[in-house]
Order: sequence, then C-alpha cells, then structure tokens
Amino acid sequence: MALSQFLSELEALVTAAESAFQSAADAAALETARIEYLGAKSGRIKTVQKGLGGIDKTDKPVAGQRFNEVKARIESAFSAAQERCQNATAAAAVKAVSRKAEKSDAVIPPGAFDPSESPPGCRLHLGRLHPITQTIETLKEIMGRLGFSVADGPEIEDEWHNFQALNIPASHPARDPLENFYLSMAEETSGAGPMLLRSQTSTVQIRVMENRRPPVRIIALGRVYRPDTADATHFPMFHQIEGLLVDRQVTMADLKSVLRMFAMSYFGGEVHIRFRPSFFPFTEPSVEVDMQWHDRWIEMGGAGMVDPNVLRAVGYDPEEFSGFAFGIGIERVCMRRHNLTDIRELYKNDVRFLEQF
Amino acid sequence: MLVSWNWLKEYVVLDMPVEALTTRLMMAGFNHEGTSDVEGDIAIDLEVTSNRPDALGHLGVAREIAVLYDRPLKMPLARPAEGKTPVEKLTSVAVECPDLCPRYTARVIRGAKIGASPAWLRRRLATLGLKSINNVVDVTNYVMMECGQPLHAFDLNLLREKRIVVREPKRGEKLVAIDHKTYELEPGMCVIADAERAVGLGGVMGGADSEISDKTTDLLIESAQFAPVSIRNTARRLKLHSPSSHRFERGLDPEGIEWASRRCCELILQVAGGELAAGVIDVGQKPKAREGIVFRHAQLKRMLGIDVDPAEVVRILEALGNRVNRLDAGRLEVVPPSWRADLEREIDLVEEVARIHGYEKIPEDVQVPMAASSKSDEERLIGKIRRAMTAAGYNEAMTLSAVTPALSDAFSPWTGRPPLVAQTPVIENADTLRRSLVPSLLAARQTNESLGNGRIELFEMARVYLPQERFASASNGALPGEELMLSLTSGGDFFAVKGAIEALVEALNPAARLEARDVPSELAPACGLLSPRRAALYLEGELLGLVGEVSADGLSRFDLRNATTVAELKVAVLLKFAQVVTKYQKPPEFPAMVYDVNLKVGEPVRWSAIEKIVRQHGGKHLAGVRFQETYRSQKLVEEGKKKILFQISFRSPAGTLTHEQVNQDHARIVEKCGKELGAELG
Repeated sequence: MALSQFLSELEALVTAAESAFQSAADAAALETARIEYLGAKSGRIKTVQKGLGGIDKTDKPVAGQRFNEVKARIESAFSAAQERCQNATAAAAVKAVSRKAEKSDAVIPPGAFDPSESPPGCRLHLGRLHPITQTIETLKEIMGRLGFSVADGPEIEDEWHNFQALNIPASHPARDPLENFYLSMAEETSGAGPMLLRSQTSTVQIRVMENRRPPVRIIALGRVYRPDTADATHFPMFHQIEGLLVDRQVTMADLKSVLRMFAMSYFGGEVHIRFRPSFFPFTEPSVEVDMQWHDRWIEMGGAGMVDPNVLRAVGYDPEEFSGFAFGIGIERVCMRRHNLTDIRELYKNDVRFLEQF
Repeated sequence: MLVSWNWLKEYVVLDMPVEALTTRLMMAGFNHEGTSDVEGDIAIDLEVTSNRPDALGHLGVAREIAVLYDRPLKMPLARPAEGKTPVEKLTSVAVECPDLCPRYTARVIRGAKIGASPAWLRRRLATLGLKSINNVVDVTNYVMMECGQPLHAFDLNLLREKRIVVREPKRGEKLVAIDHKTYELEPGMCVIADAERAVGLGGVMGGADSEISDKTTDLLIESAQFAPVSIRNTARRLKLHSPSSHRFERGLDPEGIEWASRRCCELILQVAGGELAAGVIDVGQKPKAREGIVFRHAQLKRMLGIDVDPAEVVRILEALGNRVNRLDAGRLEVVPPSWRADLEREIDLVEEVARIHGYEKIPEDVQVPMAASSKSDEERLIGKIRRAMTAAGYNEAMTLSAVTPALSDAFSPWTGRPPLVAQTPVIENADTLRRSLVPSLLAARQTNESLGNGRIELFEMARVYLPQERFASASNGALPGEELMLSLTSGGDFFAVKGAIEALVEALNPAARLEARDVPSELAPACGLLSPRRAALYLEGELLGLVGEVSADGLSRFDLRNATTVAELKVAVLLKFAQVVTKYQKPPEFPAMVYDVNLKVGEPVRWSAIEKIVRQHGGKHLAGVRFQETYRSQKLVEEGKKKILFQISFRSPAGTLTHEQVNQDHARIVEKCGKELGAELG
C-alpha cells in the first residue's frame, strides 16, 4: 500500500471516530462507538494497523509514527466523550436533585465547575453556503428593497435571445463561434436553429419583455459562459446579475440614482457614482460604472439605456417607453468582499475553502 | 492604441498636463491604459472600443481632443504634385470579388529612391513601438497611424504584367508573406494577385515576392476597402493579426481611402523622391452620401434626465464632423461624417452629446418611484432548502456545468439520451453538458480526498441539461430541458443521507409523505454507480430522486478511497409539495398511548407492507406508526425469518385513552398482519 493512501485512511479514520464519539448521546451509544473503533478484536483501528505491514520499509517509520499519533487522538477523543457522558449523567442527577432542592449550590461545591476547562464543548458541524450564493443573496436582497423582482431564464439559449434581439447582428464579432460555447447539433434539434450556452444574463430581459408590458423592473442572475482560459481572474463559467427597468420616462438620472442607492446599501455609507462612456450593442448610450468608496474609484460594471432596437425586438414602442439596464459580475464582487485573489478557488470546492464562509 | 503626444500636437494645441488630458479622454470613452516616456516624447495607451475605428489614428484622437477642449483641428491637405504620365498607362486593377473588396485604389510613383527614413519619421514610429523598415514602408505605416487607413506599397516591377487582380484564392494556392512564412489560402479570403500569382492577402498582410527592397524604384500604392467579416475570418484562420487587420475588421472611413492614398504619396515624394503618375485607379463602389438624421432636442431630457444648451449641442455635433441644419425650434437635421459609421440614429447622437457634454452633469440623487417587489414562492423555498442542508452539516459546492464524457456516462438516471455537447470544451476536455450533478460532486470529493480533507459533506443545487425534454421558446423553436437538482455526497451511510433528506422534506412540509422504494427498473440501468443499498424516493407518490451508497466499483472509478453515499433530488418535486407558509396545527391536548410491537415475519416481508396494514386497520385513534429495528440474530429467530420491532401510537382529541379503548385496534392489527403476511407476535 502506498504511504499516501495509508495516511489518508488514517485521516478518515480519526475524523470518523471523533465525530462518532462526539455525537454519542449517552453511555450506551458511546460504548457501541468504542467497540467499533477501539474494539480489541476487530475495531477499525486494529484493521488499519494491519495495513501497516504492507507499507514499504522506507516509509514505515513515518507511517508508524502517524499511526501512533492517530491512535492517541482517537483514544483521547474517547476519554473526552466518556467524561462528557459521565458529566451529563451527573448533571442530570444534579438537575433532578436541584428540582427538589431549593438551591443547586447545595449539590455542587462552590468553585468545582470550571467552564474554561478542556475538553471543548461538543461542537455541531454547521454547513456553509457557497460564497457566490452568499453574494447573490446580498445583491438580491438590496435590489429587492429597490423594487426589483427576480426573473429567470434558460442557460441554453437560441441566437434570437442571446444575440439578435439584443441588437447583436450576425456579422458582429461577439457571435463568432470561437467566442461562444455553441452546442453540436444533433438530429432532434431540427428547426430550433443553433443553440449555445448563454454568454450573458441579458437573455432573460428579452424573455421577460416578450411576455409582459411595462413597467418592467427585474433582476436576472445566474451562470453565464464564455471561452476564457482559466486563470486567476478568468473562468469560462461565471455569474452575472443584471437589472432592467422599463417604463414611461425612465432616464439615465434614474439609472445613476438607482446604482447609487444600490452601492450605498451594499457599503452602508456615502457613495458616489461615475459614468464613463463605453460600448455595448444592447444599450445606447452605454457606460462603464464606477463607484467612489473611501476616495477610490472602483469598477462596478456596465450599464446604459436600453437600445431602441432591443425595445422594438420585444414589441415595445421606443417612443413610448424607455429603460435602463445594468450588469455586474458577481465573482468580482464576491472576490473583493472576501479578499479572494484567484477565481478558480471558487470552483475547486476544497472544504477547507468552503468552511471559511 | 498608442498615440504620441508630439504627433498629436501637429493637429491640435496641447497645453494641458498629460494627466489632465488622459482623464478627460477617459471620461469621453477612451480608457487610459498607461503612459510612458519615449526619448523626448510621451506614448499614451488608449483603449478604443470596437465601435470607434475612427479613433485608431492620431487624427481621430486629435479630433476628440479638439471637441473636448473646443479647439480647431488642423488637417493635412494631402495634395501631392502629379507628373504627366497617366496612371492608367502604367498599371491596371481588376476586382473579381467585389463582396470581399468593395473598393480598390492604386497610385504609382516611379523613380523613388529607397533608403533609410529621416529622423522625424523614425522617431514617430519609435514612440509607437514600430520598427523602421525603409522610407517607403515607414510612410505607409505612418499614414495608417495618422488616419487609421492601412496602406500597402508594392514593387511595381515585381508584379507580373504590372497589374493587380483582386480575387479569391485558387485551389491549393499558397502565399509567402512578408514574415517569410508560407500560408495556405482558402475560399472566402481576399487575395491581391498580379497576372499570375498571389502577392498579398488583402487587408491582412503583403507578400514577400513583391515587397519593397533597396532595388525598388517604381511603387504601386494600394489604398482599399475590405469586408470586415472576411478580414476577421482570414486573420483568425491564419493567426495573422496585424494592425491592418485590426482596423479593417472594425470598418473604416470609405472616404478616407482616397485621402490616405494622396497623403501617402505626398510623404513618399517628400522622403524618397520620384514622380507620381497623374490620377488614380479607383475600382468599385464610391461611398454613398450619408443620410440626414432628425434630432429632436427633447430627446436629450427624455433619455439623460437633463437638458443641454441647444447652442452647445450644435457645437458638439459640428465639431465631431457632423453637418447640422436647423429644421425648426426643437429639431435638427444631422448628417454624420463618413468616418462615423456608428452614428446612424437619433439615439446615437444623444450619446455623442452626452459623452462630450459630460456624464458627470447627470444627477445621482433623483427620486425614482417606488415599486412593490416580492420574493417568489420558489425563491423562498429554495432558501429554505439551502438552510436545511447547511443545518444538516453539508457545505454548498459549486461545480462546472460541463463535464468530461466519462464523467457524464458514470451516472445518468434522468435521461437515456446522449448528452448535449459543446463544440469547444468549457474547460480541459469537459465538453459535455451534465445530465446529473452526482459525477461532479464525486469529482469534488476526490479533490478533497487528495487534499487529505477528512470530513467531506457537500451539496449543490444546479441545473442538469436534458436533451429529450423540450419546451417551446417564445419566438424561436424549442430548447432542451433544464431541471434544477439538489444533490449530495456524504461520508455517512445510506441511512445518514436518507435521514438528512427526511429532515429536509419535513422542514418543507411536515405532513408530506416520503417513501423509499426499490429503484424502478427503468432507472436501474443508469444506477450502476450505486451499491444494492440504494432506493428511489417518492414524495406524495411522485418520484423525487435517488439515494444510494456508491459501490466499490463506483468508488474506484472516481478514484475514491473512502465510502460515500450520494443522492439527487428533483427540486421541482420538493417545491410542489412544500408549504411556503405553514398553517398552525394545535398540538394534541392529551397524551398518546404507545404500544411496542414485535412481529416475526418471513424474510421477504417488507416493512412497508406492515406499515400499510397498520395504517389501514389501525382504527380511528391511530396517531402514528414508527419502525424501530429488525433482528436477524440466529439466537433470536430461525433462518429465513426476521423480527421487526415497531411502535404504534393511539390518541384521542377527547381525552386520555385507556387500554380498553385501543386493545381491539391493537389486536386487529396483529391479526391482519398474521393473516396477510404470516406474521406472529415475537
């Protein structure tokens, strides 16, 4: 057996044993767990010890040392649990007595209980939500307060929703097959036209507007896909949040003010918003949004007024309605929030990472 | 795009600090990427968005500065002195593929002297990081960096029959380009040829055979227009991205072609001498005159939320090169310049005015009307599911939607159809859209094991992609099915995971009936990953999902050392039977009467059969039935038999029950179990 495998088995064993001892509710349960792990005849620790024989000579000292460590840890976990169970029994007795007696200090002598004593309390394993989920929840909550409801749409899209209706014509470089994840077409897709993994959540704007008359006040969020080579700041899959407000008389001043309220809610203080001109096919005018926080300008995302061609594509009259849209990359917000420097950490799912949030 | 500070000064007065200028340009749409000092000059790196090819030359940037600072723009005249010989006598041009090359112009200079460029020219190019080649090639590069129009100079005497043919490549045709690499040409590419062979790839790169050398005396100067899409495809196909292709891809000023040609000849005459033939060969479409756009002043307020002084609006539009006519009090007719193909509509002009006027003038504190918004039931319940999973000790994982084909094939209970596949892998070999989250979670588990992590309890909520199910999309055919799944992997056994699911279901709806049954035969073939300790879960009789321990074979397929149990549940089914807001149930007023029952049955008898009988025949006081344990010890029961221990509770809303009231019910249950299942009291 390879040393690494042996060590990993040891690690799994000690985790399982500690968890079993910790969760044993009473003396009987603890005894069952003791037999399972520390049983003299066929306890799991005995079984693992047998594996020691199969280790290469050179690795044996390391393996033996680690085995002894693990054995000691398991034994101490057991005695801690044993003590706890005895204490529990004693405490139950105390409780029973104290119910009858007027004062509990009649039973426990003063100073006999030391709360700072080892071992620590029996800790529960609480799972954690992924930091991306936590960021999404925060952003959703803020936008909810500003009157935006969540809308949803498919991740596999057709060209109409991902491009055409968003004012991205067939000749546009953004439609290049190498800039997107197009699906290989099977027989069953006849008639549907080419399909691809959506490259932006703006597709949801189109789907919502196609089925509803203004006012529209939504956010869409979810996974989007672009063929970027994975590195510290890029990943081919990421998340976007996108806001859309269409009504009569919606202006860029509304856009700026909503984004400012959003930023102020997020940071909880005075924030200013700056627009820099930019170019996106689905908005005109288009801007990059920065926010000023503690004398620094931080890039927030892209925004603009919904292009009249987009309004027309969903059957809205651009003379009657106007609207704004904005998009923010969730990974970037999340990474800044938690001081992350490598986006790939988010998708590795190392529990030592996940358990930090 | 790099611009030289000194060079810009030829067209517009620059008396502001460099930093002030770059900030101003950034606020007008040209992000500042950096500034560096280059031998007495300053190189400024500006980001130019793809809609602004006009700013891919110094003149375009100078024009923006002139508009922003309200200064005049000095434009070179480009009027080279012409000789007597008409150009038509010296060469000819035929365009056989007008789709790929809408317009081609050629001028000829004879008797030029090729040599080193003068210092001023070398310095200009050095600031932009361009190597000096010779005086003629340097001028073509200089003019491209001046106005954005790429140019090419051929050695006229090296062109067979001294003429140009613009065409698509012949079968198997190859070109040795000026980088001295050989490229295989394909249909759809635009070849510049002489009478016999390809001498260049239009708009992408020139050929080695006809390049300018020390021996060159006679030049053909090409200034042409090429179709952006073809240029893009050619450059990508041959991996030949050049400053020239970068510009043609974005579309250039159709009227600038002629100016650039004259400017190029003017400068060649200046630095290399020679005589320019009279006239120009100009093949293809002449640019169409731009049509006027009606601009309503009121649109500024409607879109921007602020008004702009009408005189300022006219100044901005005119300085950007538009011709402006006043139609009436509130309306202008605006004819955009040829170099601004991006200005087509009124809204485009609104953006121009806003961009130059300054977005900082738009307020950030207007009153936006309030609107009601609420969380959907689905959102609320999904939040509840996540909270239940974390309370159960599971960490939320997030894995990639695409997997390798091997991973995809490992577990696919929801569809037997082949998975959807992306044309390019999303990441290293992962080109298959997953039909289950379980393989991804097992891969994440393996990552954790290899990191030596002990406790690996993961759940993920994400979509799977099911090729067989379709729904009609609003306007364009049908899309594949996407279904939200909740999946788990745990170091616990079957019962630990089943227990977590039971707790989850109870959190969503305490009254919902969850049953574990044999995995139905239609799903079984897809469950090869699972050991016999597995089950299909049904919620209110509807298939909710699967739970099972991974078999030894499955573990080794995922390179896992330690046992794991997995589950995958359909979130839609969880939601269907969940209660968003639970209604109060009064807790029972009187205690229950609890019976322990111990039945000896044959091995094939299932607990579910016993439970069914109890529920059916328990009588009106039956409050609950709970499985406790099964004994198979040979000390207690003979072979082929087992003892099942369970609890039955009875309760009445009217008062505390007595044994007399329920003895009959208890006896009936035992009797029915005996009759129907052959059970006897143990």
